[in-house]
Amino acid sequence: MASKKTAQKTLSLAPVLDLNEATALHEKLIALKGSDIVIDASAVERVGTLCVQVLMAGAKTWEEDHLSFTFSKVSDAFEKTTQLIGVEIDHLVAKEI
Amino acid sequence: MDMNEIKEIFFQECEEQLAELESGLLKLNDGDRDPETVNAVFRAVHSIKGGAGAFGLDDLVSFAHVFETTLDCVRSNRLDPGPEVLKVMLKSADVLADLTNAARDGGSVDEARSRQLIKELEALANGEVPQASAAAPAPVEVVAKPVAAVAPPPVSNEGFQPVAFSFDDFDAAEEPPLMEMPTYEIVFKPKSDLYAKGNEATLLLRDLSRLGEMSIHCDMGALPTLERLSPESAYFSWKIQLATDKGEDAIRTVFEFAEWDCDLEISLVEDEATQSGEELPMQPVPFDLSILDDEPAVSVGVVEEEEQLASRQQDIRNAAVSAAGTASNVLQMAQSAARAPAEKAAPAASAAQSAAAQQAAASAGTPTIRVDLDRVDRLINLVGELVINQAMLSQSVVENDANGTSSINMGLEELQQLTREIQDSVMAIRAQPVKPVFQRMSRIVREIADMTGKSVRLITEGENTEVDKTVIDKLAEPLTHMIRNAVDHGLETPEKRLAAGKSAEGTVRLTAKHRSGRIVIELADDGAGINREKVRQKAIDNDLIAADANLSDEEIDNLIFHAGFSTADKISDISGRGVGMDVVKRSIQALGGRINISSKPGHGSVFTMSLPLTLAVLDGMVVTVANQTLVVPLTAIVETLQPEASAIHSFGSNQRLISIRNSFCPLVDVGRILNFRAIQANPVEGVALLVESEGGGQRALMVDAIQGQRQVVIKSLEANYTHVPGIAAATILGDGRVALILDVDTIVAASRGQSLKPEMSLAAAG
Repeated sequence: MASKKTAQKTLSLAPVLDLNEATALHEKLIALKGSDIVIDASAVERVGTLCVQVLMAGAKTWEEDHLSFTFSKVSDAFEKTTQLIGVEIDHLVAKEI
Repeated sequence: MDMNEIKEIFFQECEEQLAELESGLLKLNDGDRDPETVNAVFRAVHSIKGGAGAFGLDDLVSFAHVFETTLDCVRSNRLDPGPEVLKVMLKSADVLADLTNAARDGGSVDEARSRQLIKELEALANGEVPQASAAAPAPVEVVAKPVAAVAPPPVSNEGFQPVAFSFDDFDAAEEPPLMEMPTYEIVFKPKSDLYAKGNEATLLLRDLSRLGEMSIHCDMGALPTLERLSPESAYFSWKIQLATDKGEDAIRTVFEFAEWDCDLEISLVEDEATQSGEELPMQPVPFDLSILDDEPAVSVGVVEEEEQLASRQQDIRNAAVSAAGTASNVLQMAQSAARAPAEKAAPAASAAQSAAAQQAAASAGTPTIRVDLDRVDRLINLVGELVINQAMLSQSVVENDANGTSSINMGLEELQQLTREIQDSVMAIRAQPVKPVFQRMSRIVREIADMTGKSVRLITEGENTEVDKTVIDKLAEPLTHMIRNAVDHGLETPEKRLAAGKSAEGTVRLTAKHRSGRIVIELADDGAGINREKVRQKAIDNDLIAADANLSDEEIDNLIFHAGFSTADKISDISGRGVGMDVVKRSIQALGGRINISSKPGHGSVFTMSLPLTLAVLDGMVVTVANQTLVVPLTAIVETLQPEASAIHSFGSNQRLISIRNSFCPLVDVGRILNFRAIQANPVEGVALLVESEGGGQRALMVDAIQGQRQVVIKSLEANYTHVPGIAAATILGDGRVALILDVDTIVAASRGQSLKPEMSLAAAG
């Protein structure tokens, strides 16, 4: 994914993204608004629906802002969970070149 | 709020559910076949099981589970709730209550009984009942911990346990099971409550995927942008296609603990065309989800959340969880109310219909909150003080303001009215229906009937009659004892009943009603009635009465209230525990109540208890007797009159009668009875208060003067001093002095010759 002029920020996700983490994640994302963002989901061991919702709302918001929202790395657990619940993230995952 | 408090809320809800369960079962027992009654019963057990699962109360869960399975058979008309079936279910409800209590405070549970009932329940569920149709299939074997027990991911039949299930739900009962794997379309829309209660959609979907081959479409249409997103709300919903041979019930089992917090539609896709004609992009779900099994033993995420709650101590979230739990009950009721009619017509459409009705019903329901009793009590005490203070203020204004027309006076009157309204409203907070106590009695009747081999039917009436909570709390014990007595001593054995030309089944009738500002509770049995000869002989043997005493029937009946009186030939396990009816009478009297018995030989006995509605305030007439200020409860007074000399008639040594509208009424000098004065006062100089005593007779109480009517705050003499015969309680007057509240019945009884105890005069002077 080509980098843009604006500074690119990285957000590393916590290993456990459960109900308790949803609000924190929401706040973190809001704080990062306005720049391209790369999400590192490689450490995620467990992710709940609420956090997926927050992330997808983030993707939607970034898209509306015409900024880039990508997952640099995703853990197997993260990927499986999104597949399980029918959330398509392929187009958001950075492809290795 | 910590975990224990949440648990405490769960147990409080359990109490409500258990009450609901019992009343539902009793309704069924009375022949009620309303599907909603069956649903209510099922829901009660289901909710207890759900909550118990979250707290890891395994005994409770496993019993509730078996119970629920059997109830499900009733719900789906596979098991007819006949008398034999209901007998087992009522016993199971008792055991469930015991298990709940044991989980709450470590009470004991008869494990053998519980095991026996589990067997009986399972037998019922398996159709082993004469009344049930022989062809009734066994219910689906639902498991308490779905995750742990569900077969591993592959769709093949490997490791698949044979599970019998019913197709009753989809009108295909007559047809053999489909050869190909049926495909279900599931629409799953979680509500925010689902997450708030610690359930997790990913785990539900994972469990679902293990039932077969699944493809899924996530509807993100409701998802807002980040700014408008509330991170703990539910936005995603799913449409799922699942090919499984495990049946709809297995699918429902997955959603078992989340059922009330989501919209769930499950329909069988019968036509391949409709299935393939679906336009939504469906994502196949990968078979191997083992990576998500980080906590294999955890069921549906509930326990997982529990741990987090405990560890993080987030008060707000905890409050949200409990609030959601409470709200869910309301929703559950609404949901089933909506579901009952819909289920008959179209099972698949019912969920959608119920969702709409549920919203409507939930908003229409009266919202309630739970409040610590201590807080209410503190409020009541404060209002009591306010009333006293207001009276004092009024009095000092009257004393210092001669003309009595000033604006202060008007303001005071308004204050008085407001105080009164506040007091009424506060008392209303404490008022509760007697239903819970009555419901407990039905269990006692059942148990004693079992122990004595008698067949008893308990009929309760007026269980919504409201009375102050303190009265309710103290009512249970005497009532329990009286019920025991009624069944053990009152009712005859079935053989004797049949011989006497009665039905084999005895009836005990428990009624509550309001009568002139008091609550009257009647306990009637249709047994043999009091054996007066036996009672009389026993009283003579125990030196309670002289051998030649001339007693009326009523007086003989009332002898059973004497201490240490028991006519049972041998002491039984049930009622002969050395606690006699005297204890019952004392507990009732301690409540400011009265108890009476009337008995007809061969036809049974009626115990009548009359209790005050509240123990906090009373409307009284303030009177003067021998320079003492007394308060006579207004409820006892029929009328007041100024006797004329011509109306007073004397007879005997010191008895006097007053003639009122051509009838005579005994005149009782209160001052003399209470030993306030040595000689009788002249009736013409005083005022007569015509009172009605519990026995029904009228008496004219002589007092010197009436000061006025006032609402007084009752202060217990027992708590602050000691019991004084003839005096019910005390109060504080506007001028700060203590006034005694008269116990009219004792005074009337004393006037009939039963003298008050000697300490009387001392106490009254003090």
